[in-house]
Amino acid sequence: MIQHIRVHEVLQQSVAGFYADLVTRPTGRAVRESIERALSSGTIAVMDFTGVGCLDYSCADEIVAKLVREKVLVLLLRGTTDGHRDAIEPVLLGHGLAAVCERPDGTLDMIGAREPAAALLEELVAQQVAARTPGGAIALTAA
Amino acid sequence: MTRLVEVPAQFDDRSFDQFAASYALATADGERLLFDAHAAEWASPYGLVGLLAAGAAAGRRAGGGGGAGGGGAERPLLTVPASAEVVSYWARAGFFREAADLFEVHGKVPKTKPATESEVLLPVTPVRAAEDVHVVVSTIQQRASAILAKELGLDPKATMGFAMALSEACQNIVEHAGSGGWVAVQAYNWRRKLARRVVVIAVADAGVGFRHSLEPSQAKRFGDRWGDAAALEAALIQGVSRFRDPGRGQGLAGIRRYLARWEGKVAIRSGTARIAIVPRWDDDVPLKDGLPAFPGSQVLLIIPEQGSTKA
Repeated sequence: MIQHIRVHEVLQQSVAGFYADLVTRPTGRAVRESIERALSSGTIAVMDFTGVGCLDYSCADEIVAKLVREKVLVLLLRGTTDGHRDAIEPVLLGHGLAAVCERPDGTLDMIGAREPAAALLEELVAQQVAARTPGGAIALTAA
Repeated sequence: MTRLVEVPAQFDDRSFDQFAASYALATADGERLLFDAHAAEWASPYGLVGLLAAGAAAGRRAGGGGGAGGGGAERPLLTVPASAEVVSYWARAGFFREAADLFEVHGKVPKTKPATESEVLLPVTPVRAAEDVHVVVSTIQQRASAILAKELGLDPKATMGFAMALSEACQNIVEHAGSGGWVAVQAYNWRRKLARRVVVIAVADAGVGFRHSLEPSQAKRFGDRWGDAAALEAALIQGVSRFRDPGRGQGLAGIRRYLARWEGKVAIRSGTARIAIVPRWDDDVPLKDGLPAFPGSQVLLIIPEQGSTKA
């Protein structure tokens, strides 16, 4: 089963004030704790960043890295901008972790440390959540 | 008796040590301080937030609150610049709005709101808590995007990185200073060094400083070398944090990455030392130790207009 997280909605619900930016450790912690309450452990989760403005390193670490490290089997990032990925990539690399990024055309890319990233894609294909396209890329089959 | 602290005529990061020396001398005997900005002709954002940090520290010495927004029983005195033009600019930069809580201000200050003009991307803004960082990041994205792209020639995507760098710089205050601080962002022509426009982020606090913040976890590792310079080196170069969480310490590393991409400069002064990542257009030194002691930490980020820069 794939679980979906709309990060912007969680941000609105978790923090007082109408913020669009995921910045500061306390904000990241509040958002992650909300997500953790809704997520089952060891699951495949789609995290949708649509509507999120700035994401800083502190929040990337507090949310993405900690969920990948402690909660989910595979974290699939959707709706990310270049700016979001600029924050997420070094944080994941620093921990030797990886996540999967969905491109606008639906194909999947890896972000973070190379070895665990390749294993994540294999996991998605093995669970038939993703499949190889005729062009050789990997795309989600559902979700 | 009152001790005089002279504010340099051109008050920026280059003249800050002169100001710090005057501050250190004046604070030696615990007398009330008078910050004399009478002869000030110009102040960078770094000078303005540094002056507020000095006021906060002086107020704390005198028994006041001393943090951002803190008052005091016997606040230090501040004489405003003699030039009406300079006073007006400091007012538009938001300086006097914050100074009113920290100093007993002497001189005529125009009642003006902080500027919405293009030069002042972010007026002097207090940073005390995470909520303040949200406000700073939100404001800067609304105001800086066009300037960064049109005036500095940065890729529009760089705005997000700019906001990230600003967020991390401000969070250092919230998480490490143990007191409030201030941030200011301005764009201006930097004729002296570069003959081009720059955007400058200045962040200052009068808190505990990097050495004190990192001492419990790092002093033993550095042994005899431990001090302000070693603490700055550990934080900026080695990405060390006072927290045990392995994800910590990424903020300054992220700032360094962003500035390296845009040929920018970062300099941090804390206690008696100053460290800088020096781009090729600048002739600053990477590390200075033995400077006049000054409370807290002062961070300077400079992003130049893109294009060929003087080597």
